Amino acid sequence: MTGPQPSALSTRALVAGYEPDLPIVRGVDFSIRSGELVIVLGPNGAGKSTFVKAIAGLVPIHSGATMLGGFDITAVPTHEKIRHGLAFVPQTENIFATMSIHDNLLLAANVLPKEKRSRRVADLYAMFPDLAARPSLRAGQLSGGQRQMLAVARALIVEPSVLILDEPSAGLSPKIVQEVFAQLKAINDTGVTIILVEQNVKAALAIADRAAILVEGQLRHEGPAATLAEDPIVAELYLGARPAGKAATP
Amino acid sequence: MNPQLIMDGLIAGAMIGLGAIGITLTYSILRFANFAHGEMISWGAYLALATSGLLGSLSGALLKPIGPFSFGWSLPLAVLAAVALTAGLALLVDALLFGPLRKRRSAVIIMVMASFGASLALRSLLEFIFTSKPVYFSKALQIALPLGGGLRATPDQLLSLAVAAILVVAIHILLTRTAIGRSMRAVSENQQLAGVAGIDARKVIRTVWMLGAGLACIAGVMAGLLVQIRPYMGFDLLLPLFAAAILGGIGSVPGAMLAGLIVGLAEALGVQLIGAEWRAAVAFMILVFVLLLRPQGLFGRAE
Ligand SMILES: Nc1ncnc2c1ncn2[C@@H]1O[C@H](COP(=O)(O)OP(=O)(O)OP(=O)(O)O)[C@@H](O)[C@H]1O
Ligand SMILES: [Mg+2]
Repeated sequence: MTGPQPSALSTRALVAGYEPDLPIVRGVDFSIRSGELVIVLGPNGAGKSTFVKAIAGLVPIHSGATMLGGFDITAVPTHEKIRHGLAFVPQTENIFATMSIHDNLLLAANVLPKEKRSRRVADLYAMFPDLAARPSLRAGQLSGGQRQMLAVARALIVEPSVLILDEPSAGLSPKIVQEVFAQLKAINDTGVTIILVEQNVKAALAIADRAAILVEGQLRHEGPAATLAEDPIVAELYLGARPAGKAATP
Repeated sequence: MNPQLIMDGLIAGAMIGLGAIGITLTYSILRFANFAHGEMISWGAYLALATSGLLGSLSGALLKPIGPFSFGWSLPLAVLAAVALTAGLALLVDALLFGPLRKRRSAVIIMVMASFGASLALRSLLEFIFTSKPVYFSKALQIALPLGGGLRATPDQLLSLAVAAILVVAIHILLTRTAIGRSMRAVSENQQLAGVAGIDARKVIRTVWMLGAGLACIAGVMAGLLVQIRPYMGFDLLLPLFAAAILGGIGSVPGAMLAGLIVGLAEALGVQLIGAEWRAAVAFMILVFVLLLRPQGLFGRAE
C-alpha cells in the first residue's frame, strides 16, 4: 500500500459517550497501521461498541480526535465518513431487513461515482456467491451468517481503507464463525485495514496481528495477538478465561 | 342504493389518498404524527388560487376553459407554482420548528404538540389573509357525463382521478426504483445504519417534506375544484387522512391510496345510509377498528 506502514486510523485521547456528562470511552489512544488486523477485546460493558461507534460518528465525541490516514475526521458528519474510506458494520441491526439483498447493495453503492456502481455490486456478488444466488430475497430472511456477509458486503462496496466490525460472530455457530473469520482474513489480505471488536477471543486471535484490551473505557493492554493468546494473566483478567485446567474460553 | 355514491366516494377517496401519502411518509421517516399536514392541503389550495388569479389578471386568455374542463390554463400553471410554494412552506416550517426540535432530540409527544401548534397558526394565518368565506377556482358549471351503469362524472372529476392515479404510480416507482427512494426506505428502517451507509438523513427529510407537501397541494386543488376552498378544508380532512394512513400501513404509498379510496367509499356510503352528520364517525370507526384488529394496516409489516 502507501508508504512504510503509516497509521491507517488513530484516536488521540478520545473521550466519548451518549450523555454529555457521562463519558463511556475515557481517553483512548489507539492506532492501527495500514493493512493490519487488530482485535479489540474486553468484558461486557467495557465500552468496545461505544468506542467504535464514536469513531464511526454514531456516538458524540466529547474531546480528543480521530484521524484517518493523517486526516482529522473527528468532526466529519457520520454519512461523510464512508466517503473518506471508513466503513463500519454495527453490532446489531447492521442490514436493512425490509429491503432486498440487491437494494441493500445498491444503496451502499450510491456513494460511488455512477459509472462504478454496477461494477462494484457485481464484484461483491462474485465475492459472496450466497448473496448472488437470490438478490431479490428480503435481507430479513437471511440466516445469521448470511446477514453478516451482507453487512460486510455492504461495507466493502465502497472499497474502504479501514473496515470496523463490531462482533460479527455474535450468535453464529462455531462453523459459521470460522467461515466469517476466514472471509475477513481474506479481505484483510487484500490490503484492507480491519478493526474487529470480538468476544470470540480464540477464533479472533487466530486471524489477528495485534490485540487491544479495553476495560472500563480505557485501553489496558496492547500487544501482538500471538503473545496475548498465551498470556494467562491477561486471559484470566480480561478475556473471561478460567485458569489452565478448567473450562476453556467460549 | 344510488350508484353515484361510488363515484363520489372514489373522488373523495383519491383526495384522501393523496393527503394520506404525505402523512404516511412523514410518519415513517420522522416518526411522529404530523397534525399540520391538513394545513398543507389548505395552503396548497389557496396558493394555487392566488397564483391562478394573478396569472388570470395578467392574461385573460389563460382563463378561457380548456376543452371540457371548468378551468383555463391559469390553473395548471398555478398548480405547478403552488406545489413548489407549498413544498417551500413545509421546508420553512421544518427549518423553524421541527428541525430545531429534532436537534434537541425532543420526545415524540413534543413533536406532535408542535405540529398541533403549527396547524393552528397556519390555519389562522389563512383566515387572516383570505377570510373564512368559501371561494372557488371557477364559477363555471359543469355537466356530469354519463359513464354507463348509472354513473355520472364531470370532466374535472375524471381528470382528478386520473391525476391521482398517475401520482401514486409515480411516487411508488420513485420509492422502489430510485436512489432517493431507497434512501428514504433506509432512513425509515434504521436512521443510524443509513448514516453509516453514507445517506444524509437531512436530505431525505427535506425530500419527504417536499413530496408530502406537493401531494397535499394537489389534493387541496382537487378539493377546491370539486367542492370549495375554505381555511378549514385540510383540518377537516385530518381524521380520514390518519384513518387512511394507518389502514394502508405506515410507510406504504399504494396502501395509503387504496385505504384512502376505502375511507372515501365508506364515508360516501355512511352519508347515504345514516346521514351526512355521521361522515366523520365513519373515518373514526375505521381508525379504531384498524388499530384494534390490524394495527400494522393492510400493507404494513407487524413489528
Ligand atoms: N445507547 C446507549 N445509551 C446510553 N448508554 C449506553 C448505550 N449503549 C450502551 N450504553 C452504556 O455504555 C456502556 C458501554 O457499553 P458498550 O455497548 O460500549 O459495551 P461493550 O463493550 O460493547 O459491551 P458488549 O460486549 O456487551 O457489546 C455500558 O455501561 C452501557 O450501559
Ligand atoms: Mg458491544
